[in-house]
Amino acid sequence: MLKRILNIFARDLKVNSREFITLYIIIIPVVMAVGINFISPGINDTTVNLALIKDENPGQADYFGDFAHVGLFNDRKEAEDRIMARDDVVGVLPEGGGYYILAQGNEPESIVEYAKLLNVLYESDVQLEDARSEIIEFGRNVPPLKKRLVNMLLLLISMLAGMLIAMNILEEKMDKTVAAINVTPTSRSAFILGKGFTGMFIAVVSSFACILITGFYDVNMWQAALVIFSTTILSLIIGFLQGLNSNDVMEAAGSVKLLFLPLGGSIAGYEFVAEKWQAFFWWSPFYWAYRANENILSKSGTWSQLLLYTGIILAICGMVYALLAPRIARKLQ
Amino acid sequence: MKIFSSFKKELILASRSFYFYVELGFSLIILAVLLLAVPENFNTTATQYLYFDMPQAAKEIYIDTVLESEPGMESEMVGIEAEGKTYEAQLITTDGEEVYIVDSREALEKLAYEKQNPGAVIRLDDNNQLNFQYYLQGYESTRLKNLISIMFSKDIGTLEKLVEKQEVRYLTTGYESINDRENTIPPIISFSSGLMGMFILASYIFLDKKEGVIKAYAVTASPIWQYLISKIFVVLLTSIVSGLIIIMPVIGLRINYGLVLLLLLTAGFFSSSLGLLIASFYEDLMKAFGVIYLLVILLMVPAIAYFIPGWNPFWIKLIPTYPLMQGFKEIILPEGDITYPLLASAGFLAAGLVLFAFTNIRFKKTLSI
Repeated sequence: MLKRILNIFARDLKVNSREFITLYIIIIPVVMAVGINFISPGINDTTVNLALIKDENPGQADYFGDFAHVGLFNDRKEAEDRIMARDDVVGVLPEGGGYYILAQGNEPESIVEYAKLLNVLYESDVQLEDARSEIIEFGRNVPPLKKRLVNMLLLLISMLAGMLIAMNILEEKMDKTVAAINVTPTSRSAFILGKGFTGMFIAVVSSFACILITGFYDVNMWQAALVIFSTTILSLIIGFLQGLNSNDVMEAAGSVKLLFLPLGGSIAGYEFVAEKWQAFFWWSPFYWAYRANENILSKSGTWSQLLLYTGIILAICGMVYALLAPRIARKLQ
Repeated sequence: MKIFSSFKKELILASRSFYFYVELGFSLIILAVLLLAVPENFNTTATQYLYFDMPQAAKEIYIDTVLESEPGMESEMVGIEAEGKTYEAQLITTDGEEVYIVDSREALEKLAYEKQNPGAVIRLDDNNQLNFQYYLQGYESTRLKNLISIMFSKDIGTLEKLVEKQEVRYLTTGYESINDRENTIPPIISFSSGLMGMFILASYIFLDKKEGVIKAYAVTASPIWQYLISKIFVVLLTSIVSGLIIIMPVIGLRINYGLVLLLLLTAGFFSSSLGLLIASFYEDLMKAFGVIYLLVILLMVPAIAYFIPGWNPFWIKLIPTYPLMQGFKEIILPEGDITYPLLASAGFLAAGLVLFAFTNIRFKKTLSI
């Protein structure tokens, strides 16, 4: 049986590599991981943007530069135009020997308050050397947003892998070779596993590549492997159901869009919904996968927690498979 | 009339397909989620932990002064858990902030570390001046750390008075913001209705390629552009219906629906033309998958800038979803700038026409691909 599964896997890998799709599905998450590395420092350094007049007070511009992003403009009109642009920029402009804060009027109050505080500190000549506060750091160097983006990427990989499995099955359907499997010595479960192997293989390779590229090389890789294994089972179930239930690529495309609902909903639920309402998301394997990844990426997960989360993911997948087994058998006829 | 007949046929075919109903069902689910699960205003409470490393009497005086200075503050004793241990704390709640005052430095360190919130130890120095020790996670930006380190270098009372005295002038007045639920509409509509056209139209064309419909067009009297535009019309109609299903119940009738339709139509036309162009280069969806997927991801990036207005690099404004989301936002804002969605629509229409003309030439040349 193992030989037959491997034969189906090798055949799919060959077909997919001919069309570069395997390569695409491996490369896309890697490109996205590089993209996360590219944008996250900028996002983390997000602070208040100030508009000042060029050469009016270079010392002030240098001072503000230690605490905010400073933009210099030739005159008041240019500064006003910048303040009126779509993003949040606040001006600190000179008048009668002092300075006033110029805002568009739609900025969050905290931004205007930040600009006021900075101007007070500057006018009071409080220097960094005069600091009376001491800062103690816990040594965490990965900003929360980067962690979230990597976690989302890991879930996206399992979706992509599922989609590849669906495409492979669709290809068999459109070539009318699914039913033919019944007259070969290959069993139904060997066919399912064989068709799923390419997607599972890609999910594992891409997930580890993303974890490493985004700089999470010090997380517990065995824990990561456990969660990645459970999400590849999830990919297998998704892909197989999508592939068997769709008759053409349009339907498969539509069902991918539908799958984004539980995926996006689970992430939003975990991040934004209060603890007492989290139970509403327990049915979603994406919720548990996101939660497990969060624990691993924060390096705060214990083995018992992760075994529980992956156990739940596998149990949900098992239940879905058991419920839909008769339907799958019918579709394979 | 041929074009109308093609459109009618496409519409009948679409109404029989699973995809058409997925689109409508998707919009209804999004609407239900928006109305039932997304609050009008997200809870954005900031949490911090404090420990007063000073005699009990000094601590009480300090806390009482703070509580008296702001009448809206509430105080209660609570227990909070960290690393399996429960710590007693005095919780002071203000508008948008929760401050937990704990009894030991150990509790503060454990809570600040596990909950990933800032903490501070407040001490009295030799001159009886307040001195702060901040506990940060480590990933905070240098600029923020700089500000924290000098923020209390002056007496807090004096600092507050000086900040209050600062003159603030506004370039516009009467700005009315939208609630958080309404604020989520522009990205949802942009991706669900505006840009899915690219993916869907490419899929339509690949399906027709597989079934040989495109080749059959070569021997009919209809020009290829009529076939392409009839496909676009179906996608545009779907995106209008699905877009309105989401917008109307959430926002109501207070916005200019003419502008909504204009932006939906032009952005849909642009993304459909882009989908057609991609489809003209590949034989099937599998082969075009990488390009479509990368484009979809790239188009999603401006959503980060949408929710974090302080992060707005120049390159992000060049991605079409940026003007699309900002355009929808201007339409939804009570005193929104009408010029922006009009200009964005003109840009999408112009770019869509160029892409469509180019695609038409490609399809004419390569009817078989």
